[in-house]
Amino acid sequence: MRQLMLLVCIFFGLVMPVQAVSTPQEQIKQMIDGVFSVLNSDLETTVKKQRISGTVQKFLGVKSLSQRTLGVYWKKANPEELARFMALYVQILERTYLNRVDDYSGGRVDYLRERIKGKKAILDTRFITERVEIPVKYKLIQKGGVWQIYDILIEGVSLVRSYRSSYSEILRKEGFSGLFKRMEDKLAQMKKVG
Amino acid sequence: MRLTVSLLLLFSGFLFADLCWSAQSEVSSVVGAVSATEAADDFDAEFAEDFTEDDDAPLISDPLEGWNRGVFWFNDKLYFFFLKPVAKVYRVIPRPARKSVSNFFSNLSGPVRIVNSALQFKFADSGREIGRFLVNSTIGIGGLFDPADKWAKIPEKDEDFGQTLGVYRFGSGPYLVLPFYGPSSLRDASGLVVDTFLDPLTWLNRDWSLLEHAGVRVGLAINYLSLDADSYEKIKRDSLDPYLFMRAAYVQYRLAKVAQ
Repeated sequence: MRQLMLLVCIFFGLVMPVQAVSTPQEQIKQMIDGVFSVLNSDLETTVKKQRISGTVQKFLGVKSLSQRTLGVYWKKANPEELARFMALYVQILERTYLNRVDDYSGGRVDYLRERIKGKKAILDTRFITERVEIPVKYKLIQKGGVWQIYDILIEGVSLVRSYRSSYSEILRKEGFSGLFKRMEDKLAQMKKVG
Repeated sequence: MRLTVSLLLLFSGFLFADLCWSAQSEVSSVVGAVSATEAADDFDAEFAEDFTEDDDAPLISDPLEGWNRGVFWFNDKLYFFFLKPVAKVYRVIPRPARKSVSNFFSNLSGPVRIVNSALQFKFADSGREIGRFLVNSTIGIGGLFDPADKWAKIPEKDEDFGQTLGVYRFGSGPYLVLPFYGPSSLRDASGLVVDTFLDPLTWLNRDWSLLEHAGVRVGLAINYLSLDADSYEKIKRDSLDPYLFMRAAYVQYRLAKVAQ
């Protein structure tokens, strides 16, 4: 259980940008190298955050992520609700990641295995720091020639499934208005922190 | 500790009845996870569930949510007002020393992993844990250091009785948040009771009072938290409802553990 908490935290550390290159592994490597070069530099945390900010939004498969996070509610929602959800969700993911930037400084990533089938791919990696070694699995889907991350699994814990489980329960009880209220409150709170 | 143990025993009384109703859905997902992990090329299985958008079923049943949220609140307060402040002060002790404390107790609980690996018919794992225990208890000076991992590259593999029950196709049963301990399930909490009896820490100190046993466990928790980088704070800060997020993460984490 204790490990779990750590793992959940590291969840967000690897939500990073992807650029258009040939294989999923090359793409992930490129984005991780890019982020790590900022992380491992001598810059101050606030500067690091600025450098990395925005890139997360650009390269995540925001629509795929949102669709899988909402599950059945994706079809039930109207276009305005979907647009609003995606806008808030991507900000929450980015904030979550940026608030953890410090945890990933000094780490490296080993690439273990890449599997591609059609437009889907799974990449197994291992995130290594002096203190921890954590298996991280990326799931990607190819859209318009670009591999986009639509889920990340840390020691078997899926980002999307965890969010879906929480969000669908909130949606069931409070509807979209309740969920948006919570998301906005949370964002305001997260921005205050850093 | 004994109180917790007897409470758990109470629960385990109706464990098997309870397991049955949740077992069906759970088992199928456990089995799914197993085959996906073990069959290296079972690529589609790993995707199967991602693209079913109708998957709105909760990951675990939580009929005791009211109680669980109460315990979650209690643990939260315990963490912020007692455990964490103490752990912060305790951090004056250099990290390597605290790491050795953690190594020592982890090595001491080797028999838990040895027995459970064997019960799951993972005899190679069981053998590796025996090797680790022997090497670390001797060369590692009673377990203070972990040369088995560092030099021989044999890392510890976490196995407990909850996982053993999972391998035997028992579902997790309802979600359960335990006081002091945190997220668990009926199955895993029952497993915890069994593991407590397998743990030399328990039977080497049979003459200890309840308070002494509890003290050691609290001490271990504080030692752990001193090594941890405020994980819980971050989860709390980032999730819309930390209770729901922890629950989802716990269930998946355990499923993956059982599958390994």
